[in-house]
Formats: sequence, structure tokens, C-alpha cells
Amino acid sequence: MGMDTIGWLILVVIVVVVAAVAFVVIRRRRRGGGVIATKDKG
Amino acid sequence: MSESFQRSAGRKVMSRSSAKELGAVSHLLVDAQQRQIAAVVIGRGKKAQLVEWAQLSGFGPDAVMVVDEGALQPPADDRERAAAEGRLELVGKRALSERGNELGKLDDVTFDADTGALEDLLIGDRRVHAGSLLGSGSYAAVLDESQEPSP
Amino acid sequence: MRLLMTASQIRGLPVVTVQGGEDVAEVRDVIYSPEAGRLVGVTLNKRGFLAGRSREVLPAEAIHAVGQHAVMVLDESSLAAPEDAPDDVAHPAMERNVLGDDVLTEGGASLGKVADLVLLVGSSGEVVGYQIDKAGGGRGYIPLPAQLSVSGVALVVPNITEEFVQDDLVGLGAAVDEFRARLGLP
Repeated sequence: MGMDTIGWLILVVIVVVVAAVAFVVIRRRRRGGGVIATKDKG
Repeated sequence: MSESFQRSAGRKVMSRSSAKELGAVSHLLVDAQQRQIAAVVIGRGKKAQLVEWAQLSGFGPDAVMVVDEGALQPPADDRERAAAEGRLELVGKRALSERGNELGKLDDVTFDADTGALEDLLIGDRRVHAGSLLGSGSYAAVLDESQEPSP
Repeated sequence: MRLLMTASQIRGLPVVTVQGGEDVAEVRDVIYSPEAGRLVGVTLNKRGFLAGRSREVLPAEAIHAVGQHAVMVLDESSLAAPEDAPDDVAHPAMERNVLGDDVLTEGGASLGKVADLVLLVGSSGEVVGYQIDKAGGGRGYIPLPAQLSVSGVALVVPNITEEFVQDDLVGLGAAVDEFRARLGLP
């Protein structure tokens, strides 16, 4: 079985999209961050 | 006489003692606290070398004269390496106020060709006296708060 | 007229040294004391696209200024090892994220929930107001007095705050001085 050009193209697009999403998710988790109130009074 | 970073980029560097051409100016390394040119970077990449301002016999409109070839040294520390790589170049550097607000991009810097003292910083259409320069490095040139735009 | 920015806008800003012109870190968490009415410090990420948390933190005393594009420090020694910083900054109480907390007047009326903090641009972390999700719906901005009391998961504000709810940051900038004058504060 061989994939035609369109098939390969779609595969490449999917891989690129998944990689991009993975980067965004990983980056957001590593960067973290929030606005935190102090534990104690004063 | 007044000179500028942009105008002097690419200028020939010659040895005064041998009249030999040593290379061309690629960057000017600045001591921000002294508001003074500290060294001239000659050449690019692995072959880049630095000459201290004190080792120049003249910074002329057509050529920069070095006392002798021995004054050219490879980068000796992290700061000189950064300068040789162009990461400390002032032209094109982000200008930031000490209050943390962006002021624009440094388009050019003028200096006294006799003493190496910085004169003005050109940011867009604004001319700022070099006395406002508090520090500069790979990320930004930091100017004092007299440069804040008025609210 | 005061120029204002939100705490969320500070997250991700580079931390830049005045003397060195270097971006030495990036802001991760913003740590706020409602009682003191100001930031107590900031935790840090390393610079870089996928870089993670930095061990060092930045206490508010070491902040030279918070601007719209960078948090300024004098030099690299302004960053502190966790053991040299106040506990609230070195080990932030991550469960005490103020965002989402109720805002109640002293009289017991709910103005809404905290969506963000509003800080004075160019200061070293003075909090002058909150961005709120209003009880009736929509976004609002309320000025704050210099000190505030916290009770569990609610933040308590003076009764007159209810009259000073603004629609935008510009309105808040104009309202802060009048609000504080009404309360008899500097």
C-alpha cells in the first residue's frame, strides 16, 4: 500500500499541529505563574 | 570632532608603526558608567580582536590608527566575547528607562573622536544626552527617568 | 493621573539590571500582601523559550521599578537565594491564589470576585486597586485603600468602595486619588 501525495501532506500537517500544541502546553506548564496572597498577616 | 557609531562602522584600522592595514571596525564596546568608548572590535567571528581606546593614536574620518599591531588582542573575558559577537552593540539596541518602560530603539550614538567620550544617543527623532545612560548590555540600554515620556 | 497596569501583565516580563542592561530572569508568580497593599516579591523563571523555574526569587525591597515592559533591578545581586528571602516569597502559598476571591464591603455587600490586581506603573509594587468580575456581571475596577483585611477567602473593602467602581483602567487612574482623599489617606 502506498500513500499518495495528499496523504503525506495531511500527515505532515497533523504532525506539525500536534508538535505546535505540545510546545504550547509544555511551555505553559513550565512557565507557570499566578498571583498569590501572603500566608501570614502583614 | 564629533563622530558616530553608524558612520564609523566598517572603517579601516591601520597600524601607525607599520602602516599595515589590520582590519575594519565591526563594533565599538562602551563603558556605560564612564560614558566612554572602552575598546574597538576589529574583524568578525573567530578572528575578532579588540583594541583598548588608550591604544589608539587617532580615530580619524578615514582610518582608525592603532599604536602598533600588538595592541590587538583576542577577547579576554565574557564581556569582550559578547562584544566580539556583537551582542553589546548599541546601534539597534532597545532603549529602556530605569522605570521599566521602553523608549524606542537606539538608531545611532555620537562621540568625541579625540577622547572617546559619548555625546548623544539618537532614539527615533529624539536626541538624548549620553549623560542619561545608566547602563547597557545584551538586552537593553538603560536610560535615567528624565527620559520618561510625559503622561 | 496615574499610569496603571495589572499583575497579570507583570507575569512574563523580563527582569533587567539597570547597570548591566541584561535580562537576568523573567517574572513567574506575583506575591501580594493585601494587608500591606503592595507586592512582597516575585518568583522567577529562567529566560528562554522552554526554560523552567529559577531557584532565585526577587523580594520587593530589591525591585527598583515595575514598568510596562520590564521589572528593573539595580544589578544581579538583587536576586536572592530562597534562604535569604522572606518566606512568603521563597515558598509562596500556591493555594492562596487571590484571583477568584470574593470582594466584600465592611457592611457585607459583595462587589464581585477578584479578577486581577492593579498596580502603579513605575512604583516598586504598590497595589492601588482590583480588577473584579462584578456580582451583577461584567468587568469593573475598584480602588483600594493602602491596607486591607483578609478573612479566609474574602477580601474586605471600605463601604464607599461601592461608589467608586470604574469601567476601565483609565477611569481607575483618575479615581484612586479622590477615593483615598475621601478616606482621609495620603
